[in-house]
Amino acid sequence: MITRLALSFLVLSCTAIAGAYLLAFFPGGAPPWAAWGLALGSAGVLSSMMALGATRGGRLRPIALAACVLTFLVVGGAFSLALLLPANEGKDAVIVLGFPLRTAIVLYGVGIVPMLFLPAMYAVSFDADTLSDDDLARVRRAGQERGA
Amino acid sequence: MSGFFLLEGSSAAMRHPAIIAVAIIYFVVVSAIGIWATRRTKNARDFFVAGQGIGIVTLAIAAMASTLSGFAFIGGPGLVYSVGTGAVFLVLSASITNTMGAWVLAKRMRLLGEARGLITVPDAIAARFRSPTAQGLSAVSILVAIIGYMATNFLALGLVIDAMFGTGLTLGIWLAMLVTLSYTVAGGILAGVYTDLFEGMVKTVASVTVFYFVLKAGGGLAGISRAITAVDDTFLGPWGKMPALAALSLFFVFGLGSLGQPHVAHKFYMLKDPRKLKWYPLLMSVAMALTLLLYVGVGLAMRALTAMGAIAPLARADDATPAFVLGFTPSVVAGIVFAGVMAAIMSTVNSFMNIGAAALTHDIPRACGRRVDNELLWGRIWTLALSLAAVIVAQVSGTLVAFLGIFGYGLFAATLVPSLAIGLNWQGATREGAVASIATGLGLTLVLETLAYFRMFSLPTGVTVSGLSLLLSLLVFFAVSWCTRARAASQLDADIRLVMEV
Repeated sequence: MITRLALSFLVLSCTAIAGAYLLAFFPGGAPPWAAWGLALGSAGVLSSMMALGATRGGRLRPIALAACVLTFLVVGGAFSLALLLPANEGKDAVIVLGFPLRTAIVLYGVGIVPMLFLPAMYAVSFDADTLSDDDLARVRRAGQERGA
Repeated sequence: MSGFFLLEGSSAAMRHPAIIAVAIIYFVVVSAIGIWATRRTKNARDFFVAGQGIGIVTLAIAAMASTLSGFAFIGGPGLVYSVGTGAVFLVLSASITNTMGAWVLAKRMRLLGEARGLITVPDAIAARFRSPTAQGLSAVSILVAIIGYMATNFLALGLVIDAMFGTGLTLGIWLAMLVTLSYTVAGGILAGVYTDLFEGMVKTVASVTVFYFVLKAGGGLAGISRAITAVDDTFLGPWGKMPALAALSLFFVFGLGSLGQPHVAHKFYMLKDPRKLKWYPLLMSVAMALTLLLYVGVGLAMRALTAMGAIAPLARADDATPAFVLGFTPSVVAGIVFAGVMAAIMSTVNSFMNIGAAALTHDIPRACGRRVDNELLWGRIWTLALSLAAVIVAQVSGTLVAFLGIFGYGLFAATLVPSLAIGLNWQGATREGAVASIATGLGLTLVLETLAYFRMFSLPTGVTVSGLSLLLSLLVFFAVSWCTRARAASQLDADIRLVMEV
């Protein structure tokens, strides 16, 4: 069920990106709103790939699910804000954490914030949700049986 | 690409004794590691997967070192100098890709090594789909991509050696090849990962040190931003001087494409204890973040210094890093940075030499139903042959080499992401889908890049060949797998199913 959901979201995200690319082929090039397809599509592709990889036996455990949802919200949200907010990167730019506001939202929101929670969530859930000693022993046994 | 245009006028400055001393120390350490690894390389498993005996810190730093080629130190900062924030979209997804890679690939690849004793990326595809055709096609894709990658990197390293030691470009390229080859052909990937560890540390130290001088020269990040925004109101916009569609397209290709880079995926086989993967995303993310400070900082600082009138505009964007380190850092730091550039290039080339040799020694013969008797010997012979081929290509023509180097990343992504990354996580994927997607990615990338190179066709603004090829190969993979879904269950062996389920 979860695998099917992750795959559906992945295909949907790819379709959004394909739509944005397709619009670029029309005379006059892609309209400005085509960027939304890539912004949300890219966030969706990465989140759904993570969900696909983290799914075990058809189940996505809470921490992994939260990581995937958070990634989509943070990345999609940062790109959306950059697309929505008015441009102000000239002489009167408001500088936040060293960069103009919209740029700071993208650089820190996409480039730094996920790094603050993803590796930690992966490590915290690893023993219970990703690979236990028992899992490893089962795989080793399967390898030995095949070899024999 | 790794920056073809190091400052010609800076050669004299690069021959400062401190810079040359650091470079010589660097080469001595790399050689010592090569000799040590050669003594420990006894068979093909040692040569191709380091005897499956490396630790997690070594794995993470080696993966970072081979991911960030010379482009991260020369071409990347040059691109930031040219197009501003838009260039950062190439590396922006690094905050996510390490954890994503751990969930999607690392565990599955490592467990495949455990269950089947696999040693190459095409091995994993063959095992997943029980398909020699998919193994052969993916090996051919890898070979096509790495020749160009290796040629561009030899050319770049040749330029650095020429600038530092005044050897001339031709001799510089041959020396670049011989140094890298000497430890790769003898010590295989065992030499590779431990030189990668050393090279990764050099790169990280160089990047962090240079970033300190970036902040000092530009008056902090806010000072740099104020100087740039005073004269240019798009450079520091969220997409820089690129259309939003183009910047986001880079994010998509380099984000998802990270799952199809064989020189990184291959390293997961080498980890001694699979349970240590727990720390991989953390270690890799920290290493990447520190090493990418130079990529982002130098281009911005050089643009700010130009805006302040402190320096003249650069004649070539790729001069950004050499000009900054020679002009704004002490000679020893400049030496570490140039050693970092060499480290970046050599660690990437070494990985490509090894996976290319594995494709020729192991994957293509198996795809043809044959087995090579002495894989260690043939691995060494093919490493030598591939290096010679890449050096010859590097000397043919600058534009041809650039062309070959450009599509490497995209070709890996378009051919390997569907069958490897999705294939190992979706039991409904089929052999037919895998073969169709690899063929689509390979054919489309080659045709579109060639047409673009000869100016017979160009894609609209914002659409890249790599983005389009990756997208279409994904859609073909889904469509063909769906059409042939009745065969999916029968194509999965029990042990592979277990690896996909745990």
